[in-house]
Amino acid sequence: MRELTPALGQTAEHHRDVPAALPDPGTLERVDGERWRVPRAAAPSRRGRFRQRWHWRGLAGAARPTRSGRPTLDVQILQTATSLELLAVAAYQAALGLLFIADGNAVVGQFAETTMSQHNGHADAFAAQTKSLGGKEQARPNPKYVAVVEETKPKLTGPAEVVNLASTLKTVATETDLANLALLEDSDSKGLFASVMGVECQHLATLRAVGALLAAGDAGTALIAIPTNVAKLPKAAGSVAFPAPFESTTMASPPEEGAVK
Amino acid sequence: MTDPTSSDSGNPLPRGTSRRSFFVTTGAGIGFLALASCSNDTKTTSSSGTTAGSTAASATTTASTQKNVDVETAQLAAGLEVLAVETYRAALDVATAGKLGAVPPAVKEYVTTAMAHHRAALDKWNGVLTGAGETAVTEPDATLKPIVDDAFSKVTDVNGAAALALMLEEIAAATYQKAIPTLTSKDAVTLAGSIQVVDAQHVAVLLFVSGRYPVPEVFAKTDKAAA
Repeated sequence: MRELTPALGQTAEHHRDVPAALPDPGTLERVDGERWRVPRAAAPSRRGRFRQRWHWRGLAGAARPTRSGRPTLDVQILQTATSLELLAVAAYQAALGLLFIADGNAVVGQFAETTMSQHNGHADAFAAQTKSLGGKEQARPNPKYVAVVEETKPKLTGPAEVVNLASTLKTVATETDLANLALLEDSDSKGLFASVMGVECQHLATLRAVGALLAAGDAGTALIAIPTNVAKLPKAAGSVAFPAPFESTTMASPPEEGAVK
Repeated sequence: MTDPTSSDSGNPLPRGTSRRSFFVTTGAGIGFLALASCSNDTKTTSSSGTTAGSTAASATTTASTQKNVDVETAQLAAGLEVLAVETYRAALDVATAGKLGAVPPAVKEYVTTAMAHHRAALDKWNGVLTGAGETAVTEPDATLKPIVDDAFSKVTDVNGAAALALMLEEIAAATYQKAIPTLTSKDAVTLAGSIQVVDAQHVAVLLFVSGRYPVPEVFAKTDKAAA
């Protein structure tokens, strides 16, 4: 099984299926006065789409005003987390516009749709918590990684490249959650981050495993199925999803990176 | 990926914390709490007054409670890690003895890798405990051990072993997630979080090899957490 290649910095020809640009944050629609999601019309539907109702409970903390009109560190962390979630929503929406994702491997397509939905849930929860702490809701994708995604999009010529990009973004999200978790003061926010991080890291593990199977060619791709053929999985499938006993924070975004200016 | 508590990792624990300083700061943090409580005691004694004395007692209690939360969490976590290491080792033993039938290479690789992860986590928690003047944990969690032993006695094949591993990993991930908001030391939060991540990733792979979707929840839950 080949090692995953870095998602960024690869050269490839421009693919005609690649959308010209990420969905503009303006195309995200506001629901119930506080939720943001990709409009259904803009998101390709898919047979057998995994649907899941989500709702973050337990955020009943009273609003806490920020001092001197400046956002607290907790608010900045929440805004940055929201910006990464919105970026992920936009990136998966773009991926679902690619024929080789929408009409390709069923599990990869299901994963893209389900993960996009889950990111919407995370963005909503982070935004709600931002407001409960008296902060302003972040409504735009992370500025640093929007640029990275735009730069990479012309190089997305197949599922492996998309998975590698998603894996990179997911690494950033997971490690940001982990790094910023220890900086939070608010207990409810810590609980929320721990809960979201527990899902983000599973996305990352899945992407690592799927990326490795894709890299193994047709035989590996055939194993990206639910249920899979466990007996035929290569040995590395038992370890590639978690390369170290402790998650790193080397790719974490600083708290202010996605804060509302 | 690098070990976040390793001194040679690029950006380890809460920004700039090395493996060595992690243990030092964790121990020092706990020591600071105890010191702070003594300091409060001294001040209130000299200023006299029932209210001040009461405040000092409260501060001492709070500091003691804070210390206990981190220490107790480390002890609970270490007991879980001992249980995980022992269970994976036992699974490897019976697999090697041919008692589980044919074991796919990926499954054997998973068991070996997961066992090593839990061994590393155990070493970290015991380092935290001994650094704080506590005794290292060498025995498995007493509450969960009989449950796991009973489940293990019924394992006859790879699917059963995977189901048992899934139960263990779900408990571990949920326990760390539940503990995080209660921990007082930032280093302890990061350590618990970095282990929670890997345990949740174990869960995802176990779900996949069990024929289930690997990321079924929008938000990770804590209902399976050990107490």
